[in-house]
Amino acid sequence: MSGTFTKAMARNIFYGGAVFFFLLLVALSFDTMGGLPKSDNRANLTESVLRGKHIWETRNCIGCHTILGEGAYFAPELGNVYPRRGAEFIKAWIKSQPTGTPGRRQMPQFNFTDQELDDLVAFLKYTSEIDTQKWPPNIEG
Amino acid sequence: MNTCAQTLVNPSALPAVASDSAPRRLPGDLAIWFFILAELLAFGAFFIAYAFARANNVELFNAQQLALDRNAGAINTMLLLTSSYLVVRAVQAAEAGQGRGAAKWIVGGFACGAGFIVVKLFEYAAKFAAGVSLSSSTFHMFYLILTFFHFMHVILGLVILAALWNGARKGRYGPGNMNGIETGAAYWHMVDLVWLILFPLVYVMR
Amino acid sequence: MKYSSQSVAMPYFIAAIGLFVGQIIFGLAMGLQYVVGDFLFPAIPFNIARMVHTNLLIVWLLFGFMGATYFLVPEEAETELYSPKLALVMFWVFLLAGAATILGYLLVPYATLAEMTGNNILATMGREFLEQPLLTKIGIVIVALAFLFNITMTMLKGRKTVISIVLLMGLWGLAIFFLFSFYNPGNLVKDKFYWWWVVHLWVEGVWELIMAAILAFVLIKVTGVDREVIEKWLYVIITLALVTGLIGTGHHYFWIGTPAYWQWLGSVFSALEPIPFFAMTVFAFNMVNRRRREHPNKAAVLWALGTGVMAFLGAGVWGFLHTLAPVNYYTHGSQITAAHGHMAFYGAYVLVVLTMISYAMPLLRGRAANDERAQVCEMWGFWLMTISMVFITLFLTAAGILQVWLQRVSSTPMPFMAVQEQISLFYWMRLWAGVVFAAGLVTYLASFFVKGESKPLIHA
Repeated sequence: MSGTFTKAMARNIFYGGAVFFFLLLVALSFDTMGGLPKSDNRANLTESVLRGKHIWETRNCIGCHTILGEGAYFAPELGNVYPRRGAEFIKAWIKSQPTGTPGRRQMPQFNFTDQELDDLVAFLKYTSEIDTQKWPPNIEG
Repeated sequence: MNTCAQTLVNPSALPAVASDSAPRRLPGDLAIWFFILAELLAFGAFFIAYAFARANNVELFNAQQLALDRNAGAINTMLLLTSSYLVVRAVQAAEAGQGRGAAKWIVGGFACGAGFIVVKLFEYAAKFAAGVSLSSSTFHMFYLILTFFHFMHVILGLVILAALWNGARKGRYGPGNMNGIETGAAYWHMVDLVWLILFPLVYVMR
Repeated sequence: MKYSSQSVAMPYFIAAIGLFVGQIIFGLAMGLQYVVGDFLFPAIPFNIARMVHTNLLIVWLLFGFMGATYFLVPEEAETELYSPKLALVMFWVFLLAGAATILGYLLVPYATLAEMTGNNILATMGREFLEQPLLTKIGIVIVALAFLFNITMTMLKGRKTVISIVLLMGLWGLAIFFLFSFYNPGNLVKDKFYWWWVVHLWVEGVWELIMAAILAFVLIKVTGVDREVIEKWLYVIITLALVTGLIGTGHHYFWIGTPAYWQWLGSVFSALEPIPFFAMTVFAFNMVNRRRREHPNKAAVLWALGTGVMAFLGAGVWGFLHTLAPVNYYTHGSQITAAHGHMAFYGAYVLVVLTMISYAMPLLRGRAANDERAQVCEMWGFWLMTISMVFITLFLTAAGILQVWLQRVSSTPMPFMAVQEQISLFYWMRLWAGVVFAAGLVTYLASFFVKGESKPLIHA
């Protein structure tokens, strides 16, 4: 079976296909943005949560932990750490780092104030209440 | 363009183009067949996914399927089939050396495609008003993803038909220069073909 | 080398390889931290080492892309570079900014670094791969714009080939999608949603254009196959890449607070994502089989074929392994992801940059190809690095399967750290594979210093 195969046509199909699928992605993103209020827990996006997110970012927590499954895989998932451990445990844990156990993975001491710890916990609580389609499979994350 | 002159000089080149002894020729550009293959794979995967999702949720699917507008779907099927037929006539006209005649057939094909869009927009408007969205149920999600994905293809197809019309009007296509029109037609037939599976699957079959 | 201004590629390539070495050193340190948790603590905690490891990777690949572009575009456009001086200035700006950033990571606490560099004005830091201080991000944009200006001007005054157009589109896309790194809303779901517009649309979108263009260029040069043939396949492959990869973004939108329909969209389209990679492999082998000349640079051909195969395995096969939503539900954020990430980055982007370096470096040093012994040494480097990367991937996959089983599938799920201890054997094996990788890298470096008779320069 013989056929024609021209560069001009291959080019047109590339441009057409690329624009088409990019527009589709934009349209879907548009729909997603419209649907987010139902799932992204924005009602609980308080000042404290925002401060907590800032602390989360400026301590580069994502360099060891995952949050909703994204990040490094060196330390536990924290998207659901709030229901797993509770506020008091989380604060006590952060305050007691590093454990110094020889050979064990170590978490730095960040010298947070009580306010900062509360903000961080607020952020983790907010995160745990995002509708993630029932991920992770169980409480261990 | 010189093909224009060629077409004029060559009015007698009737359909005797594909003689039996000639090797089978792939109509249209090879590149579009790669594209069509990828598209059919995507649609095919969605059809299979639909079948699985339906098997897990037969009652919901049946109930919500009944709420779809089968009349609109049937009209659209007729429109796309007619459109495909008209585009076939356009290709035949071009092959016969009647490049400008092809343009008229393409206009007809375009009109039917545009009719599809109009019918579909009315259908969507009614559905959105009734609260159907991508997140309102699994069936609605499939209904919208499949039909909207296809809807976008029809729009792209119309853009392509417009380009073909423009080319045909300028006498760009004729015997020996069929690549452009055949390639566009192949894409348009794919859009039609997908609808012929999509319509019974999503609107009718229970 | 046909145009003298192509020589600005040389410092870019050298910097790329230098930073590559740095990346591997930190990779080894992290591999050790996985099994000896307190190694280097508190001097270099894991999160800092990882940030250095991944940021060095990105920066050296960018150096590689830029070097490749400076080499490729004048030759394709058949004209001298618009401004070699600008290219050199930008080289030093980028290198110094990169070095300052890495030193900042290592020497200053991250929170202090954030305060010092204006993160309180516009918070962009602390997100995976986009950890760079605001000043560095702005620097990247400036360097990218100057670079794109230089390349675009070069192309405008010369011949416009498909290869250079595709490459330029990829580079413009790279710069444009990077702008999403400045958008960091407080809403975590939105943050993550648009974070992927940088990360996914880079590595599974515009970078594939860059990769395919570079590969096509080298294939034309080493096989002598007709440009027409290679260029139309280039279009077909990148069409397939974008058709599958754009909506394929959806495979990142399964569990981050986005609507459920992404599970279907993401699964279907990303299931097709191996197709362009497969096409690229077939393409590379086909072109080499149909070669019209025996290029003296055998090593470059090996790198090119290796790119095809390893990109297909790493991005295609290992990507597909965990991309379907029902599978990803269990594997998301596990060592399976790490396995895929390592082989995909190595196979697609590390190898394509090294392919270009392998082809261009001898020419930049005034010969068509290196001496036989140097090439053998280089090919040893290829095999050691590639095979050990296969093993790194296999060990991480094994670790990941066990992790998923113990922590997520089991009816009595174990806590994260308990599971990590269970699978430490695989981390040890991964570490040793990493040591072999480093040995391969050293072998590769050594190939640049093997002396011998050089092949005369032929103008092909």
